[in-house]
Amino acid sequence: MIKFLFKGIIRDKSRSILPIVVIALGVSLTIVLSGFLSGAMTDMVDQNARFETGHVKIMSRAYAENKEQLPNDLALLGVDSLVSYLKSNYPDLQWVERIRFGGLLDAPDSEGESKGQGPAAGIAINLLDASSGEVERMNIEKAIVSGALPDEANEALIGDEFAKKLKLNIGDEVTYFGTTMNGSMTFQNFTISGTVRFGMAAMDKGAILLDISAARQMLDMQNGVGEILGFFHNGVYNDKAALALENSFNDQLKSNPDEYAPQMFTLRSQNNLGDLLDYANSMSAIFVMIFVGAMSVVLWNTGLIGGLRRYQEFGIRLALGESKGKIYRSLVIEATLIGVIGSLIGTGIGLVGAFYLQNYGINIAGMVDNSSMMMPTVMRAKVTPNLYFIGFIPGVFAMVFGNMLSGIGIYKRETASLFKELEV
Amino acid sequence: MITTRNYTGKMKINILLFSFLFMWIMPGQAQDAQTILDKVDKNMVSKTEITESEMVIRGKRNVQTIGSKSYTEGNKKSFTEYLYPERERGTKMLKLEDRLWIYSPSTDRTIQLSGHMLRQSVMGSDLSYEDMMEDRKLKDIYDAIIVGEETIDERKTWILELTASVEDVSYYKRKIWVDQERFIPLKEELFAKSGQLLKKTTLSDISQIDGRWYPKKINFKDVLKSGNGTDFIIKKIQFNPTIPAYIFTKASLKK
Amino acid sequence: MKLSFQLAFRNLMGAGLRTWLNVGILTFTFLVILFYNGLLDGWNLQAKRDAINWEFGYGQFQHKNYDPYNPFSLQDAHGVFNIRNTSGLIPLLMRPASIFPNGRMLSVTLKGLPKNQQLLKIPVDQLNEQVGAIPVAIGKRMAKTAKLSLGDEISLRWRDKNGTFDAANVKVDAIFNTTINTVDQGQIWMRLADLWRITGMNNEATLMIADQPMPDTSYKDWNYVNQEKLLQNINDVIEVERASARVIYFILLAIALLAIFDTQVLSVFRRQKEIGTYIALGMTKSDVIGLFTLEGSMYSLFSMLLGTLIGLPLFGYLSQKGISFGAFTADLGIGMGDRIYPSFSPSLLISSALIIIISATIVSFIPARKIVTMNPIDALRGKLQ
Repeated sequence: MIKFLFKGIIRDKSRSILPIVVIALGVSLTIVLSGFLSGAMTDMVDQNARFETGHVKIMSRAYAENKEQLPNDLALLGVDSLVSYLKSNYPDLQWVERIRFGGLLDAPDSEGESKGQGPAAGIAINLLDASSGEVERMNIEKAIVSGALPDEANEALIGDEFAKKLKLNIGDEVTYFGTTMNGSMTFQNFTISGTVRFGMAAMDKGAILLDISAARQMLDMQNGVGEILGFFHNGVYNDKAALALENSFNDQLKSNPDEYAPQMFTLRSQNNLGDLLDYANSMSAIFVMIFVGAMSVVLWNTGLIGGLRRYQEFGIRLALGESKGKIYRSLVIEATLIGVIGSLIGTGIGLVGAFYLQNYGINIAGMVDNSSMMMPTVMRAKVTPNLYFIGFIPGVFAMVFGNMLSGIGIYKRETASLFKELEV
Repeated sequence: MITTRNYTGKMKINILLFSFLFMWIMPGQAQDAQTILDKVDKNMVSKTEITESEMVIRGKRNVQTIGSKSYTEGNKKSFTEYLYPERERGTKMLKLEDRLWIYSPSTDRTIQLSGHMLRQSVMGSDLSYEDMMEDRKLKDIYDAIIVGEETIDERKTWILELTASVEDVSYYKRKIWVDQERFIPLKEELFAKSGQLLKKTTLSDISQIDGRWYPKKINFKDVLKSGNGTDFIIKKIQFNPTIPAYIFTKASLKK
Repeated sequence: MKLSFQLAFRNLMGAGLRTWLNVGILTFTFLVILFYNGLLDGWNLQAKRDAINWEFGYGQFQHKNYDPYNPFSLQDAHGVFNIRNTSGLIPLLMRPASIFPNGRMLSVTLKGLPKNQQLLKIPVDQLNEQVGAIPVAIGKRMAKTAKLSLGDEISLRWRDKNGTFDAANVKVDAIFNTTINTVDQGQIWMRLADLWRITGMNNEATLMIADQPMPDTSYKDWNYVNQEKLLQNINDVIEVERASARVIYFILLAIALLAIFDTQVLSVFRRQKEIGTYIALGMTKSDVIGLFTLEGSMYSLFSMLLGTLIGLPLFGYLSQKGISFGAFTADLGIGMGDRIYPSFSPSLLISSALIIIISATIVSFIPARKIVTMNPIDALRGKLQ
């Protein structure tokens, strides 16, 4: 029976193509937009994750206690083995190392004398290796006002206003002056490869961005790191998975009395992001509900139209003696088949779109009069697991429901009036 | 969160502590106290000095030993070169009166710390650059009196109390315990205006070098911070050698 | 007209579930747009109010050496002011200092504010004379960072005007809760008289905060920064948020309208017999188009009604009770409170309602236009066209 109906659907283009196209379109629209809005709702949380908290973050216990002070003397050591342990045991996440530090920048004039000095807030990330994803994650390329990304470890990016204050140009050399993790004095020259503006005043007026290898050397932190950040590969924070990860990681170290033992923190438990996350999630749930509701109406209508279009056909089939129940059942099964096919196609297209928007996003900078880049002006989608099935709600259920309703008409028809109606 | 306000890099500017040593020239105003201090000066101070020393910095997680060689002339000029460990080797510091330059070989840069920078605490440590810039004689900025006697490690000492006689000093009050036989300070405490103890210096391993008593180990401790403080150990000391003038020039930093 | 309304109303009621689904979706959309805008307005208002009340006042005279982003600048950023010429200005003196929680040094900014000032909400007025320790007020985050509780004493070290080290115990006499991170983290507040006394900087200040807007002027060492400029940061953040909010409700509205549009298409397609009957009964085609358009826009009227029913108590409650976001302060330089109280202004309500009604009417009208091309006789016969 299903095989027969399937053939019917394939062969009768009007029965198949149009509804399938409509369903596929509706379903894919639902998915893309749901993903997009979930992403948009969580942009602030996302921004925090990218710049500060990661999806999970590992610090030494002592560092975590004093993290506001950037206490690199309490940093994690033996990081290589820890990172390779993380990589092999928790492959769902990308693990990146970062060091934050303070110090002074001193700009020399042509004689080598200081022409300007200022306190610097340093961030060392993996700038040179694109596979770390850090440059993209922190949106550095977009933040560059002049110059370019560093090509070598002895190059650095500094805040645009900072550069102006120190009268530095691209290609100039600047000396960092600070303390190593052991408290000794340390100096390092860097060539300014570019200036950046993130829209955060503290950073624009004092940031220096280095490659982590340079920072390690400079701060005497070989095999040490302030923070290890973990990001889920798909770029989307998964609260449940992160919490489970946090528990499993910290449980193993529970009995370790070392105050420098690593400790993992989820995004939720940092910077009081938990409530914001809950809010974002419930808002995006409401959006998804609206979409599914709206799409259900649309596809239900499509189902109705489908039923109506075949008014004549049903009349003929009734006239030929087919039972009403059989026609009704075949209608419903056909609708289910069309719904499933359409939803599958739609989900496929929708996911492609959602993934695209997750990676590239929509830039709304043009809508902002005073684009300060304070916040991400690129709105991105967020592909969550529920996107894989929500399309089927409007796609299958609404379609079938619409057909079922329109099909009720079949039972109302009298054989006697059939021929009159059909005008044969 | 990145804010420069949180920035408290922790630097113990190693050899800066050394400057405390140069503050012993101080005939006090109370006659007895002044006599004692004069005798201390005879032991502790010479016109020029070349010192090889070691600093032991006890961090929370490790102990670092840094070696250096210093040339000093009076208390206006000093030049220090770091010898080890490898990281520190070749770093030099020159102080001429109220100016301070630091040279680092890896960057081949000489950085002068000036203006408000000098008043900053050095990278969040308890010492300010200014601490090491003090080049006035103690007698010019403090009034000294004997306030008591005490026995420290079976040695009898006088307790001298120094109170600032001018306004712009870093420490309003100092207390010094001086060995009654050998005229060597065994302990010093630095106080805030409010009377709160800020720093403590303990001198030990006193032995005779070139006919004078000299402490070979000095421990500096910031009492507000946790930890055991920093040790300063004299390996070798020459009193009144001839130091060529070029040592105390900026050019010598790059050599 | 009245007849049209009655007809449209009956038709919609007759459609039952589908009508209510459409209305429900539109209502939701309406409420979300309102809620989202209200939230942003509330946040904006609150962030600005808090910034004004805790930090900026109505503008500030800043000492020429003052750079809020360079802690080193504090050393020299102070000057004597003339009390007589500065009525209405609240002096605020800032000095660098250190405290030592757990034996680690923590750099802080010591801030002195007159005890009797009413302009800023920093609770200096709760700091009372006491023997021994100097009473101070700190923010909640600072208390957490420095591990301090009410009544705790901690050693504070600073330098007086001559650079002489001084130290004393300070006692935490007040812990305040603010959304403004910059008056909280790394800041210790005391009475200006105390700060003057311990530093010997009588009559000096770093900032002079105005209690009313002033013309942009500079006066000797003091540069006036107006409130608008001080609040620039908040405006920028809200601007970006608004832009992304616009994208969000454009999408929401579009999808809600799509449902109405589709329903209209279906109605015109399915109810041809009815259309034919109307025309047969003497209605003009444009009357019928009007009727169908009215039906469509009636969805929006219903949803306004439903939205008011749900929204009035819900939003009333929310704007009273606020919405909790925890103590989150994003790295934005803008405060976000424990609770945000959405703000629903009449202009917001009216403009949102108008947008919904007008756009619903437009999408209802477009499919209804098809009626013009219909052959009334075929329509009457119910023949599908």
